Amino acid sequence: MFRLHDVSLRHANGFVALREICLAVTAGEHIAIVGPSGAGKTTLLRLIAASLRPTGGHLDLFGTDPWALSAAELRRLRACIGVAHQAPPLPPRQRVVTAILAGRLGQWPWWKALVSLAYPVDIAGARAALARLDLGERVFDRCDRLSGGQLQRVGIARVLYQQAQLVLADEPVSALDPALALQTVRVLNSDARVRGATLVASLHAVDLALSCFPRIIGMRAGRVAFDLPVAEVDEALLRELYAAEGAFLPAFASDPASDPPPGDGGAPRRGTCWR
Amino acid sequence: MRSPRDPAAPVRAAGLLLAIVVLWPLAVIGEFHPWVLFEAQNLKVMGGFLSAFLPPDTSGEFLAHLGRATLETLAIATAGIALAFVIAVPLAMATTRALSISRIGPGAGQRRGEYLRAALRMLLVVLRGLPELVWALLFVRVFGLGPAAGVLALGLTYGGMLAKVYGEILESGDERPARALLEAGGGRVQALCYGLLPGASQELTSYTVYRWECAVRASVVMGFVGAGGLGQLMDQSMRMLNGGEAASILFTFLLLVLAADALSAVLRRQLGDAGGYGGALAFGPRTLVWLALLGSALVASYGWLDLGFSALLTRDAMASMASYFMSFFPLDLSAPWLAKVARGSLETVAISALGTLLAAACGLLLALPACGRYGQAAEQATRFLLNALRSVPELVWATLMALAAGLGPFAGILALALHTSGVLGRLFAEALQNAPSRPRDALLEAGSPAAAAFLYGTLPQVSPQLIAYSLYRWEMNIRMAAILGFVGAGGLGQLLYVELSLFHHAQASTVIAAMLLLSIAVDAASAWLRRRLGSVTA
Repeated sequence: MFRLHDVSLRHANGFVALREICLAVTAGEHIAIVGPSGAGKTTLLRLIAASLRPTGGHLDLFGTDPWALSAAELRRLRACIGVAHQAPPLPPRQRVVTAILAGRLGQWPWWKALVSLAYPVDIAGARAALARLDLGERVFDRCDRLSGGQLQRVGIARVLYQQAQLVLADEPVSALDPALALQTVRVLNSDARVRGATLVASLHAVDLALSCFPRIIGMRAGRVAFDLPVAEVDEALLRELYAAEGAFLPAFASDPASDPPPGDGGAPRRGTCWR
Repeated sequence: MRSPRDPAAPVRAAGLLLAIVVLWPLAVIGEFHPWVLFEAQNLKVMGGFLSAFLPPDTSGEFLAHLGRATLETLAIATAGIALAFVIAVPLAMATTRALSISRIGPGAGQRRGEYLRAALRMLLVVLRGLPELVWALLFVRVFGLGPAAGVLALGLTYGGMLAKVYGEILESGDERPARALLEAGGGRVQALCYGLLPGASQELTSYTVYRWECAVRASVVMGFVGAGGLGQLMDQSMRMLNGGEAASILFTFLLLVLAADALSAVLRRQLGDAGGYGGALAFGPRTLVWLALLGSALVASYGWLDLGFSALLTRDAMASMASYFMSFFPLDLSAPWLAKVARGSLETVAISALGTLLAAACGLLLALPACGRYGQAAEQATRFLLNALRSVPELVWATLMALAAGLGPFAGILALALHTSGVLGRLFAEALQNAPSRPRDALLEAGSPAAAAFLYGTLPQVSPQLIAYSLYRWEMNIRMAAILGFVGAGGLGQLLYVELSLFHHAQASTVIAAMLLLSIAVDAASAWLRRRLGSVTA
C-alpha cells in the first residue's frame, strides 16, 4: 500500500519533526500509532496523506511517488485517501449532510457537486454513514449545533462515506467517552476490513490501540521506537515509550475488552486515566 | 431504512420561486436586455468613443481647466463637510438622549423634550433620505449654476448623516459620566465635553474623516446638475463625445479617489496612534499641525469657491427662496400622476436590485483572483481593476453605459453593477482572505477539485458576510438608482429631472416624496432580509 524509506521532515523553521522513518505497509493492514505528544504522529500521517512533502528520503504511495505526479494525477491519488482529523475541519454553518457528502467531491463530476448544494444527492448514504456512529437523526442539523464529540464523529462519517482505500485517522476519538471511543474505532476497523482497505490510526489511548489493532508502531521524538505485532508489545516497551509522561500509561478504559454500553455521555470509569 | 427528504427543500424551493417571481418582473421593468450591448450600432458608437480615449487629451489649456475643476471639487467637498459639521453638531446634541436634562427626574418639560427629539429625528431622516444630487438639483434653481448649490447640498445631506451617526456614537458609550455632570447642575455643553467626548472623540473624528472621503466622491458628480467641479467638465466632454478629454477626466477621478482613500487612511491611522497614549484629546504638536492644515484648507476652500452666501441673506433673496419652496406644495396626488410615479419607483427598485445582484456576482468572481488565489500578478491586476471600477462614480458609468446600451433603465443597471462590483469585490476579497482555510485544505487533500473545495469549504463560512455586504450596498444603491435618471438612465430621477426642467414643481415634489418613501422602505426591507438570511444554512 505504501512504503517509507529513510523519510525525514524538517519544517521551514528548522525543527526536525521526523527522522529516517522506514515503514512498509501492505494493503488491508490495520495499524495503530502510539507515542507521547509531539512524537510526530500527526506529521507522519500528513506525510502519508500526501499533504506534506518529505524533505528527505523516499515515499512510495500506491506504487508511485506522489510528488512526481502531475496535479491531476495527484488529485486522483488523493481521492483514494481518507483522513479523519482530530478537530474536523468543517465550516460551522454547513449542514451535517453536506459536510459528509463532501467526502466524495474527489470522485464526483463537477455538476454533481453543484447539484448537491441545492439538494443533497445522497441523503441515504450520508445517513447510513452517520447511523453507524449513532448519529443518524442529526443528518440535517448544522455543524455548529453539535458538541465536540458529535462533530468528531461527523468527520469520521465523512471518511466512511468517502470509502477510501487508505484511511488515515489522526486521534479520531479524542473527544469521545471511553465506551463510544471503543465503539467508534471498531466501526472504523470493520469498515476497513469489509472493504479490504488499509487503516492507520494514531491513538492517544494505548489500551484502545492494543485491543483493536494487530500491529502497533511506537513513535518517540520523530523516530519509530518499535514496530511490532500487538502480541510482542509489552508493558516495559510502553513504559519506555512514555517515560517522560510519568508513572502511568494514557488509557481510556481499564478493561477495553469488555463490551461497553453504547451512547453518549458515559463517564470515564473509575481507575482510568482520563486525558 | 427509507431515507428522509431534506426538510430544508420546501423552504429553498419557496425562496427560489419567490426570487423568480420578484426578479422576473423587475427584469422586464428594468429592460434587462444584455444582448443590446452587442448590437452592431451600439458597438460602433461605443467603439468609436473608446478608440478616441487614446491618446488622452494633455493639451496645456485642457489640463489647466482640469486642474481648476479638480481643485474646485476638493474645495466643494471640504466646504460641504464643514457646513455639514456646523449643522450636525447642534442637531446631534439635541437628539442625543444622554444629554437630555429634562429626562433627569423626570423634570419639567420631559414630554416636550421627547417630542422635540422625535421631530428632529424626522428632519434628519428627510435630510439624509434624499440623495445629495437631488438637493443640488433643487438648489441650482435657486442659486444658479455654480459650486454654491453643491456645497449646500453636501452640507444638508451629510449634516443629516453626521448628526445621526454622532448621536449613535455618543449613545453607544457609557452615559453615566454625562448624567453625573448633568445631575450636578452642569449644562449640555459641559456634559458633552467632560462626560461624552473623552470616550467618543476618536471615533467621531474618524467617522468625519471617512465622510470627507465620501464627500470627495460625491462632489465629483455634482457638476452633472450644474453644481461645479469635475462633473461639469465630464458632462461637457461626454456630450461632445470627446474621448480624449473623457479619458483624462476618468484618470483624474482615479487619482483623486485613490488619493482621498490614502489621505483618509493616514489620518485615521494617526488618530489610532493618538488614542494609544491615554487621553483621547491628547493635544500635541502633531495635533496643532493637523488643526492648522485643516483651518487653512477650510479658508482656502471657501476663498476659492467665492460662494457669496451673504447675498442670500437679503430680504429679496429670502422672499424668492420662500416662494420657490412654497411652489412645491401641495403635492400633485392626481391618480394618473401617481401611477406614473409608481411606475418610476418600480423602475428605480428594478435598477437598484438588478444592479446590486449583478455586482454581487461579478464582485465574487473578481474577489477570487483579488484575494491571491491565482498568484501575485493576478492579485495586483484585479485589485487595480477593482479600484478603477469603484473610482468612477455611478453617474459617470451611467453616461458611458447610455452610449453602449442606449438611454433607459438598462444603462442604469449596468452603471450600478460596474461601480458596485468594484466596491463589493474589494470587500469580498477581504472576507475570503480572512476565512479559515482548513476546511478547504482538507477537501483538497481528499482529492476534491479546487472549485468544489471552494464551494463546500470556504463559501459556507463567508456567505453570511457576503450577503450582508450586498444588502448594505443595496440600501445605498436605491438612493443612487433614484438619481441615475438625471443622465437618462430611467427611474424616478428621469421624472424629477424632466418635471423640474418644465417648472412643474407640484409634480416634482411628489417624485421627491416617493424617493424618500422608497429609501425608507428599502432600509426596512434590507434589515429584514439580513435578519432572515442570517439564519440560512449552507
